[in-house]
Amino acid sequence: MAEITGIYTASHTPVMLNFPDRIPAALREEIFAAYRAMGDDFMAGKPDALIVLSNDHLHNFFLDNFPAFCFGCAESYESPIEHWLHAKRRTFAGDQAFGAYLLQNALQSDFDPAFSMEMVLDHGSLTPLELAGIDPDLPIVPILINCVQPPMPTMRRSYDLGRYLGKAIADYAGVERVAILATGGISHDIATPRMGMVNEEFDQTFLSLMEGDDIDATIRYATDFVHTAGNGCEEIRMWMAAMGAANGAKYHRTYYRAVNDWYTGIGIGRFEV
Amino acid sequence: MANWQEMMPSTRAYMMNKVLYELHHKPDHLEAYNDDADAYLARFALPQDLADCIKGNDVAQMYLSGVNPYLLRAHCIGVKIPEDVSLAALRSLLNHEGYNNG
Repeated sequence: MAEITGIYTASHTPVMLNFPDRIPAALREEIFAAYRAMGDDFMAGKPDALIVLSNDHLHNFFLDNFPAFCFGCAESYESPIEHWLHAKRRTFAGDQAFGAYLLQNALQSDFDPAFSMEMVLDHGSLTPLELAGIDPDLPIVPILINCVQPPMPTMRRSYDLGRYLGKAIADYAGVERVAILATGGISHDIATPRMGMVNEEFDQTFLSLMEGDDIDATIRYATDFVHTAGNGCEEIRMWMAAMGAANGAKYHRTYYRAVNDWYTGIGIGRFEV
Repeated sequence: MANWQEMMPSTRAYMMNKVLYELHHKPDHLEAYNDDADAYLARFALPQDLADCIKGNDVAQMYLSGVNPYLLRAHCIGVKIPEDVSLAALRSLLNHEGYNNG
């Protein structure tokens, strides 16, 4: 049966790669160091596979057919899909059998995800993996949650999906050690009039709730106040899923900074699993 | 406050979304647009006001038209609208009556 070696949450933004110079060099290095520290901690757990909880930013999916949840079941994943992203092209190994297992068991557990055997990962997955220095040969299973086009799955449903994942991973015999990386959030607006006006108050309250022991209060706050923290903050659905997979384990932030010139409240943390 | 102009895309927003999506994902589309924007946009039978705001890089009007902000953002970067120009255009809407601020 598989052991979960670590569950991490980390923000992502293409601005980190496309416009790194919009913030002072010292701050940029501080942020990049926080991602590297997460990567070092992550690799210390010696995972055999990685579940990437992320979202597609209207690249693989369009409004003609947009899944609420999509499980990756491919042998490999190229990245990035954005022609405009300043990132070197990489190919991540996929754990197809693991993805298929999680998909089939999800359907048996009353979830109805779509699946994809060919998707190209965008900056949402690539940026934190790249900045954390994760080995692209570590097999991954991307699980994408719609956070970019309403109507979207609820925060509660995203948490429940994570609960399912935690149990299914524990029952899986195909690998021994699994890490989970949930990427997105926290407060940020993408191409809205509020872009660059990070709601730090939301972020601080949200992180404090994550660090507390009242899961229902955290889900309720995410549900009731996400509209104050930007369309990019809808990505905390991945944090909800991570919290579900953690099954009550303590969370602590390892880094937070409201970075208005990168348009994002950048938060990193992990669950003590 | 609100995170979205439209909680369910209108047909007008869908049409504009389709242009911005195909422009940045289908091979040769960006080149065709850059060569002749009018001819490219004519493929989509858009209402003229939507075609005009795309061709004119009118970021504020595209936003108000309900386009998905992620597609708008990718478009701004993809057609190289200067970052400060697109940001200023969006900020100009903070007190605009058409902005759904909740």
